[in-house]
Amino acid sequence: MSEPAGLRVNGRSAELEGMPDDERLLDTLRWRLGLKGTKEGCRTGDCGACTVLVNGASTLSCLTLTREVEGADVTTIDDVSTDPELARVRDSFATAGALQCGYCTPGFVLALAGLLKERGRAAPVEELLDGLQGNLCRCTGYAAIARAVALAREGPP
Amino acid sequence: MSRFELLTPRSVDDAIAALRAAHGTDVAVLAGGTDLLLDIDDGRAAPSRLLSLRRLPWRTLDWVDGAPTVGSTLPLRSLEDDPELPRRLPGLWQAVHAVGSVALRHRATLGGNLGRAAPASDLVPMLLALDATVDLVGPDGDRRVAVDEFVRASRRTGLGPGELIRSVRIPEARPSAYLWQRVRPANDISQIAVAVAFSPSRRGWSVAVGGMPPRPVLLRDVADGLGAGRPDDGALRAASERASREVEIAADQRASEEYRRRLVGTLLGRAVRSVAVGPEVAAA
Repeated sequence: MSEPAGLRVNGRSAELEGMPDDERLLDTLRWRLGLKGTKEGCRTGDCGACTVLVNGASTLSCLTLTREVEGADVTTIDDVSTDPELARVRDSFATAGALQCGYCTPGFVLALAGLLKERGRAAPVEELLDGLQGNLCRCTGYAAIARAVALAREGPP
Repeated sequence: MSRFELLTPRSVDDAIAALRAAHGTDVAVLAGGTDLLLDIDDGRAAPSRLLSLRRLPWRTLDWVDGAPTVGSTLPLRSLEDDPELPRRLPGLWQAVHAVGSVALRHRATLGGNLGRAAPASDLVPMLLALDATVDLVGPDGDRRVAVDEFVRASRRTGLGPGELIRSVRIPEARPSAYLWQRVRPANDISQIAVAVAFSPSRRGWSVAVGGMPPRPVLLRDVADGLGAGRPDDGALRAASERASREVEIAADQRASEEYRRRLVGTLLGRAVRSVAVGPEVAAA
């Protein structure tokens, strides 16, 4: 018997009663809660498409058991319209044209938002780019994404 | 239906008792889960129970006289972010930084990495070169084992029945370096990796090679050949050639034996040169 798990997702509490112990955070978000912004890519921790924030820290939701993060605050791309920092990072991707098909973008935005939370905007751009090495984009090449990173550092508060 | 039941004991005693009660192979210990869950997805492991360590008080990092004791469930990202680490153990910082990606390191742990004993672990070679020891807790009390003794082969360790990894202890600060070769810098597995460290207390080098099966190994003769300080060019070349020649290396799907042999020498040379251990001295 497992105890009921709860989460706060994008500021709202999510009831997870009856959830199986082996459920991944990715599946909880997409299928249990209907938040389809978080993408499933490789499901093996290689591509970063499923990145979300768990208590502010970027996390691969495909390799995280939901029960292991019960009680945590989870932030996904679906919150972009209410979270000003996420919106700012999203806007820097749009301004830089740093996406084509857009499938990897939620993961990149959350990974960069997490890095900016950890390191602050004064962090060297090289360190931020280094911190995004776990995210793959197969469309654009990375030059436009690097420009988005620079914009996210420099943009207005 | 869940494929497994998740156990989340609230104390170390409860965890040991649950592990004993669950009998060996049927239960898997869960730390960060970034490697174990892949095995479960692929069907390489099918435990009926996972014993989660997340409620145990092991997310710790303690420095005593410049040497750290790392709690087994401390996320690697927290270890990497400690301001003391790059200063006192630069090679360990490099090795931790080489694991997965930032998002992966927010969950992956040092204890999990040791417990999984992956042949291509980025952490085990560095721990070997640092003479690290593992502190275990179990039904018969605590014991301390050298990493070299603890890690045996892929998924095989010196953990006894009912035992858990509590922490990893590194005996002293050491100038050190960790260099690797792989296809992709992040979220990839090293084809070959070299860890070097210089011990100020015994005035000697340690060299370990990883990234290939069956497990990372210490090259003691090669390390001795580097002498008691910064080696001159001749000694370094001789050590690199010896390492290339003598290391036990197998080919697998990630790299050929020849490629690995050549890289061992190259990376060893670069790693030793990058370690600051004072003026050049002639090799012993």
